[in-house]
Amino acid sequence: MTEREAPSVGVVGGGPWGRALATAARRTGAEVVLHSRRDQADSDPGLHVTVDYAEVAKARLVVIAVPSSVARSVLRALGDHLGGQHLVVHGVRGLGVDELTTVSDLVREETPARRLGALGGPVQAGELIEGRPSAMVIGSRFPEVLTAVTRAFQSPSLKVYGTNDLRGLEWASALVGCLSIGVGYAEEAGAGPGLLAALISRAVDEAARLMAAAGCEERTMFGLGGYGDLLASIALEDRPEVVLGKALARKVPLDQAIAMAKLRVEAIPLIPRIVRFADERRVEANTFRTLSEILAGGRPQAMLDRMFAGSS
Amino acid sequence: MKDDAPIFGFNAAREDIVRSVVSRVVLSAKDPLLALNDAAYHETKRLEASKRGPEEQKELAEWQKLARSLGRMGDGERREKLASLVEHMGWDVAGNFDPRVFKVSSKLLPPVVTSLLAPRTLVRLARDPKRLVSLSALDDKVRVEGPVEELRELSRHGTAVYVPTHLSNMDSIVFGYALERAGLPPATYGAGKNLFTNPVLSFFMHNLGAYRVDRRIRHNLYKDVLKTYSCVLLERGYHSLFFPGGTRSRSGGVERRLKLGLMGTAIEAYARTLIANRERRVYFVPATINYLITLEAETLIADFLAEAGKGRFIIEDDESSRLGRVTSFMRKMFDMQGAVVIRFGKPIDPFGNVVDERCRSFDRRGREVDPSSYVKDDGGRVTLDPVRDAQYTRELGDEICKAYLRETVVLETHVVAAASFERLRRASPAGDLFTVLRQRDVVVVPRDDLARDVVKLRDRLVELADRGEIVVGGFLRTASGGDIVERALRAFAGYHASPVLASRPDGIAIADTNLLFYYQNRLAAHGMAWDVIAPPGMAPARPPVFAKPASPEATQGGLS
Repeated sequence: MTEREAPSVGVVGGGPWGRALATAARRTGAEVVLHSRRDQADSDPGLHVTVDYAEVAKARLVVIAVPSSVARSVLRALGDHLGGQHLVVHGVRGLGVDELTTVSDLVREETPARRLGALGGPVQAGELIEGRPSAMVIGSRFPEVLTAVTRAFQSPSLKVYGTNDLRGLEWASALVGCLSIGVGYAEEAGAGPGLLAALISRAVDEAARLMAAAGCEERTMFGLGGYGDLLASIALEDRPEVVLGKALARKVPLDQAIAMAKLRVEAIPLIPRIVRFADERRVEANTFRTLSEILAGGRPQAMLDRMFAGSS
Repeated sequence: MKDDAPIFGFNAAREDIVRSVVSRVVLSAKDPLLALNDAAYHETKRLEASKRGPEEQKELAEWQKLARSLGRMGDGERREKLASLVEHMGWDVAGNFDPRVFKVSSKLLPPVVTSLLAPRTLVRLARDPKRLVSLSALDDKVRVEGPVEELRELSRHGTAVYVPTHLSNMDSIVFGYALERAGLPPATYGAGKNLFTNPVLSFFMHNLGAYRVDRRIRHNLYKDVLKTYSCVLLERGYHSLFFPGGTRSRSGGVERRLKLGLMGTAIEAYARTLIANRERRVYFVPATINYLITLEAETLIADFLAEAGKGRFIIEDDESSRLGRVTSFMRKMFDMQGAVVIRFGKPIDPFGNVVDERCRSFDRRGREVDPSSYVKDDGGRVTLDPVRDAQYTRELGDEICKAYLRETVVLETHVVAAASFERLRRASPAGDLFTVLRQRDVVVVPRDDLARDVVKLRDRLVELADRGEIVVGGFLRTASGGDIVERALRAFAGYHASPVLASRPDGIAIADTNLLFYYQNRLAAHGMAWDVIAPPGMAPARPPVFAKPASPEATQGGLS
C-alpha cells in the first residue's frame, strides 16, 4: 500500500490554465493536488484532483488559476483553510475595475496569507502541457516565494525568472491583456511589420508610464512580464484578446466579437478604467484612449491613424 | 496594578540589557574591519563638518587614530575594539527610568510648566510631589480617545508598540500623559539626542524611560546597536513607543510614508520569544496626536518651505527650547477645552491582522490566525529572516498610514485654515504655492462668508467621518460657522507671535499665510485641503467622492 506524500504544490482551478500549471509542476517531480469544481478523472493518473479546499491547503505553496471574475469567492472559501505559513501565488490576469485592485490585494483581503506572489510572462497553457520550451515570471517581495515557485516549476523546458516587483508584474499582465486587443486589431487592419512594431513599442512605453504612476517599476513593463508577454500575442492567433481585436477590425459588433473570443476578456471593462486613471494622474495614454474608442465602435482606418498620431 | 510592567524594573535590568545588546551586535558582525572602517569614516566626516568643541576635537582625534591603525590590527584586536565601541554606544543609548519622576511628571507635568518653574526647581519639587498641585484640571483640555478599555486588557497579554503621528517635541510627553490617563503602562521610546540637551525638555527625557538616539551618527554599527536595543526591550516585554514618521512632520500633514527600521525589530523580537519557547506576542497601536495649535508650527513650516534640500534634518533651536514659548503654549492649552486630542486606533499584529483584547489575531474575514505561522519556514521552524520581516513591516507601514487617516481628529483650527486657504487660492487662481503664500494681508473675507465656507467644509468632513474615514469631534460637529471661526481665532491669538487671522471691521484678514498652510495641511492627505505636500513619487490626494449632488463629479471624466 503506497501512502500519498504530503503535496508540495496545490493548484486551484480546473480550467486549461490550472491543469497546465499542475502538469508543469508534476514535470519537476512535485507532488501536486489540483482543486477542480468539476470532479472529473484526469488523464494524468498521478495527479490528485479534489473538490476539497482543505486538501489543497495541505500544500504550503498554493497557486490560484481561476478566472478573475470568481477570484474573490474562491479565495474566500479557500481562506478558511489557509494560515500565515502558506505561500499563495496567483496566475490571474486582470485588475479590479473599481479601485484598480490587484489580485494579490484580494488575496490579502480574503485570506490570512501574507507571503504572496503572481505569475506572468509569455508562457502559454499549451506549452506547459506539451512540455515545449517557454519562460515564466514569478513576482514576489518574499525571496522564499521566488525560491518555492522556481523549485516547483522550473524544468529543462520551463525557465522561471523572478522579480520583486509584484505589483508591477500584476499591472503589466493586465495592461498586456488590453494591448493584445490592439495587436489583433492592427494586424487585421493591415498594419505591416514595421508599423506593428512601432505601435507595440509606443504602447509599451505608455503602459510603463502608467505603471510608474501606479507605484510600480517601469522596467517591469519592459521585461518578460510586459513586453515579452505582449510579443507573444503577435503569433498567438487564438489568444482571446487577439481574436476580439481582429473581429473588431472587421467591424464585427462588440457583443459578437466577445462571443467569438469564447473566453472572457477581462480587458474590456478595464480599458476605459485605465483611461480614467491616466486622466486623473495626467499621464498621456493615446493608445488606451484609442482602444477605448475601438471598443465603442470607432472606424478602423481612422483608428489606426489615430493610434499612430499623438505627440512625440 | 500596572506597576508590574517591566519598565518599573528597568534600572535593575539595564546592565543585563546592555550586555545582551553588546554581545548580539558583536557576534553578528561578520567583518569587524568593515564595520570599524564604516564607523570611522562616517564619524570623521561628521565631526570634521561640525562646530568642534574640545569634546568633539578629542573624539575626532580618536576616530582618526583608529582609522590609521585599523590596517595593522589583527582580527582579535579588531574584535576587541569593536566590542568596546559597541559597549560605549550601548550605554550611551540606554535610558533611565525613574518611577518617582514618572508618577509625578505624568500627572503633574503640565501645571508645573505653567507655573513657570525652571527645570532646576522642577527637579527639586519632583522629590516632594506633595508640593505640586494636582493636575486633574488638565483632564478636559487633553482628550484621550479610542478603545482604551481593550488596550488596557491587551497590555497584560502582549507587548505594545505605540506608533503615533509626530508633530511636536511635546508629543512624547503628551503621549506619556495620555497613557497614564488611559490607565496604560508607560512605554519606553527612542528620543532624539537633541531633546536631551533641550534645556526645557531634558529632565523628562532622562527620567521617563527614554533612550537616546543620536540622529547625527550615520554609521551602520550605531544603527545596529539601536535596532538591537529596541529588539531586546521588546523581547523582554517592554512596551515601546516609536514615531514611525522619523521626524516631526514639517508640513503639518499626516504621515503618508514611514521609516520602518525600528518598527521592523518587532517581528524579530516576537520570533525570538518563540525560539526561546516563551511566546510573547507583540501588537501595534496606531495613534494620532492632534493639536489645536502646534508648539513649533512657525519653525517647522518655515523649514518645510525652505528651498528643497535646505530643510534641516535636526532642528535644535525651535520653540520647544524656549521656556517662554513652552509656557505660553501650556497656558493656551489650559485655556482651551480639547486643545490636544490623543486618539488610539485599533490594535493590529505585526502582520496587519487585527487583535482582540486577549491578543489573538484575526484576518480581515474574522478568522483567527496563529501569528507564529508567519515566521515559520518550510519545515515549520521559527526563523529569523530580516528580508522577510522587512516586507511584512512595509505592508504594516501601509496599514498604519491608513489608520492615521481614519483616526485623524479634525479640530477647529484645521477647518478654518482650510477654508481661509481656499479663499487665498481663489484670489490667485493660476498661482503656484509660493504665489499663493505671498498674499499676506491682502485677502479679507467677510465674516459671514468665511463662516459659510467653514460650515460647508465641516458638513463634508462630517460625512467623511460618518463613513469612518476621519474623526470630527462634538463641538465641531454641532457648532455654528461663526462659533467655529471664533474658537479658531482664539486658539491662534496669544500664542503665535504674529496674528494668523486678523479680525477687521470689514471681515477676517488672512495674515500669516504660512501658518494657515501649516494647519490646512492636516486635511491634505484626506483630499479635504489643497494637497501640495504629498511625498515624492506619491500622487496628491484627490477630493473624496460625496453622495450629494453638490460633489464635483463632473471632473471625474467618465466614459460616455
